[in-house]
Amino acid sequence: MDPRQIKKALASALDIYEGIFLAPYRSAIHREYRDQRDLFLLLTFSDLLGVPNPISFYTLELYPELIEQFHNWHLRMGLNEPPEGGFRCC
Amino acid sequence: MNLLDKRVLFFGGKGGVGKTTVAAAVALQFANQAKRTLLVSTDPAHSTSDILEVQLDSEPTAVEENLWAMEIDPETETQAYIDDVKERISESIAPRLVKEVERQIDVARMSPGAEESAVFERFAKILCDEDYQFDRYVFDTAPTGHTIRLLSLPELMTVWISGLISQRRKVNILGKMWRNVAGSAAAGSEHDDPVLEALEARKSRFERAREIITNKDESAFVFVLTPERLPILETERAVKTLQRYDVPIGAIVVNQVLPAEVQGEFLARRKEREKKYLEQIKESFQELTTFEIRQYDGDVVGRDVLLGLANETFNHPA
Repeated sequence: MDPRQIKKALASALDIYEGIFLAPYRSAIHREYRDQRDLFLLLTFSDLLGVPNPISFYTLELYPELIEQFHNWHLRMGLNEPPEGGFRCC
Repeated sequence: MNLLDKRVLFFGGKGGVGKTTVAAAVALQFANQAKRTLLVSTDPAHSTSDILEVQLDSEPTAVEENLWAMEIDPETETQAYIDDVKERISESIAPRLVKEVERQIDVARMSPGAEESAVFERFAKILCDEDYQFDRYVFDTAPTGHTIRLLSLPELMTVWISGLISQRRKVNILGKMWRNVAGSAAAGSEHDDPVLEALEARKSRFERAREIITNKDESAFVFVLTPERLPILETERAVKTLQRYDVPIGAIVVNQVLPAEVQGEFLARRKEREKKYLEQIKESFQELTTFEIRQYDGDVVGRDVLLGLANETFNHPA
């Protein structure tokens, strides 16, 4: 067999393997990663949603690091603008 | 262990009982015994400047040989922290957003608890910072309610921050798994997550502060009160609260006690009433050492008067 054909067959076998096993696993992990990140965001800036947070003053310093994630979050939640009274990111 | 052998002393009590005077007197006595001493006032009233007759600010100022003093101002501390956050933000976000974000952060300084958090931050820094190497630390604290909150903050904060840290760790592990399966280069590990680093640094400062505050060999809280009904009641409650947070109570100082021999019917009646309250104090705080300070006929201001007060008070308990 032509080595190029072997290479091609192997590549498509790998694709099938990915599609069957890895893809569902990957999306599950991605979902979980996203959810847990959102939870962290909630714990850090819960006072923006009206839930008192005794250390909100200290978590202010995390804001530079988390501003982008906060922006993604409110877009994903279907809010074109960040929640009223909260941090502005866009 | 003797009260004056502790490295860190806190003086607290109801407003107006003379805690600032007593704290200044003790600090002067330490300095006079050749111990490098830092006197810190966290009371927004800032009478320490007036008593020592030296203008103080938020950095240690030399008052005399072996004695430094400073006043922590809640507003200044809050501003300093806010400025620091702003500076870091300007490094990490798009310039067009900076103005909007800064406005938002200015709002945060008005949030409830902001000032006390900033004061605590500074307070923890003074206690933990290796740069300030003093033999004795004397804290003149704000009136009781504030102080109890301040001393109980480390515990509360540690619990919250631990929760945040464990959640952040979970996020980082999932991030790593995600990067593995997504095939993208596994850039960024847990070790260079700036969020986790900031949280860890804060947690360790809280823990260290709590360690110092609750270590009975190292520090003690001294309550100052006058022989009157309300200060006694408030102190009784405060002692219970601090004990719940494991803050060791060193002593009770009864200030403004009338001299044994008073002239006139009015003062005699007051002395009579005072006797009742002194007994009540002995009974309420029987497990604590009590010191009595006599009432002065002049102003208790300036080095010599304060040193005299400390010498005649703390050498023999009542």
